[in-house]
Amino acid sequence: MAERVPGGVGIEAINAYGGAASIPVLDLFRGRRLDPERFSNLMMQERGVALPFEDPVTNAVNAARPILDAMSPEARERIELLVTSSESGVDFSKSISSYAHEHLGLSRHCRFLEVKQACYAATGALQLALGYIASGVSPGAKALVIATDVTLVDESGLYSEPAMGTGGVAVLLGDEPRVMKMDLGAFGNYSYDVFDTARPSPEIDIGDVDRSLFTYLDCLKHSFAAYGRRVDGVDFVSTFDYLAMHTPFAGLVKAGHRKMMRELTPCDVDEIEADFGRRVKPSLQYPSLVGNLCSGSVYLSLCSIIDTIKPERSARVGMFSYGSGCSSEFFSGVIGPESVSALAGLDIGGHLRGRRQLTFDQYVELLKENLRCLVPTKNRDVDVERYLPLVTRTASRPRMLALRRVVDYHRQYEWV
Amino acid sequence: MGEPMTDERIRGVVHQAIVRVLPRVRSNEIAGHLNLRELGADSVDRVEILTSILDSLRLQKTPLAKFADIRNIDALVAFLAGEVARG
Repeated sequence: MAERVPGGVGIEAINAYGGAASIPVLDLFRGRRLDPERFSNLMMQERGVALPFEDPVTNAVNAARPILDAMSPEARERIELLVTSSESGVDFSKSISSYAHEHLGLSRHCRFLEVKQACYAATGALQLALGYIASGVSPGAKALVIATDVTLVDESGLYSEPAMGTGGVAVLLGDEPRVMKMDLGAFGNYSYDVFDTARPSPEIDIGDVDRSLFTYLDCLKHSFAAYGRRVDGVDFVSTFDYLAMHTPFAGLVKAGHRKMMRELTPCDVDEIEADFGRRVKPSLQYPSLVGNLCSGSVYLSLCSIIDTIKPERSARVGMFSYGSGCSSEFFSGVIGPESVSALAGLDIGGHLRGRRQLTFDQYVELLKENLRCLVPTKNRDVDVERYLPLVTRTASRPRMLALRRVVDYHRQYEWV
Repeated sequence: MGEPMTDERIRGVVHQAIVRVLPRVRSNEIAGHLNLRELGADSVDRVEILTSILDSLRLQKTPLAKFADIRNIDALVAFLAGEVARG
């Protein structure tokens, strides 16, 4: 099969959208009177915040649109599969992908669907899509996977409130993998039933913090071991130039790296710290400005590595995806100088820096509206004009999709 | 072979890990009915304490998830003793 795609398959383009606004995490700590000593383990600077006209559909479209704008009409026609992954569904039956398909102007000959498995779902979709592309059943086909979510956490979530993000990551897959050539066949899974975090209603996020963290760390160990059973001679340190891991908050990534290094290498504390700085820290820059992007998180970490390191030679990235519930996967791919130029035009860093920074009081005011985002409502209007001035107005600000109203449960959007 | 791993030696390993990760806690303050959260450990501290205990007791095969329902230090010591006995 692989000989049909001699250049390999993988990520052709990737873009992240981290919300229209942001709040400094230290301001959120002060406003909620959280213990400042815990700030350092969170390793966060800012957190993305949605405006009330944003929802999982707009996040998906606003993440993917810059990728499509840069493609020729012929190339866009080759997107034969659109998958949205989300734990923020807007309907039990109608998918986010159906709305996104419309507002992205994709072909009517494109297959679309939505998938759910907490923060793992995008990776599951990506692997299935890569299998489709690599199979050669439709040579030259492309697939678009979009991870999109919103946060429903308020002050009752304590320290998870400053860690949760909002937004989306769009990943275009195909046989011209300019961003990352995937190591096909190099993967390891570890999955089983556990109740660590869940969203049992459109208004409630629940979580057992310890169970979730412990499960994440067990899954990292076992999915990497499973990867090692498929790939000869794998070494946790020398095989991977960088590591991109699902980042609910950076402190957990650091704990995971430390645990793996202790168990798999003879490194002492100082060597482990140096290795973390060299191979893991570059992945945390963007997550520290956005917060947990759910199933898009590990791909935001990948963008962070590419934009931070700007690799001048080929480099292998080990990727770890974990979704509560739980399903996990360790996999890998190769980035290089072409990855840097492929990302440069989308300027993810510029978008994150350009978000309107909110005060704590503004944040609290918006939160009331944002918590209604997924609640089924037969009819409602969204006062877009009231919130639009909060979007940074610069000459280069691209148009963004906004939720305008809901009519008989049908969400209606417009470009603003 | 070293000395047998009694409950008291296991408790000593637990105390060592706690005071290393939480320097403000003294060993004599670690009452058996308290949990790690009550001793001031945040989630990352709790992970660090447990992984460090598992390292010291050479119990790396014990899944961390098994600790999610353990509610205090006494229960932690009893659980670890069972794991050590099982080898």
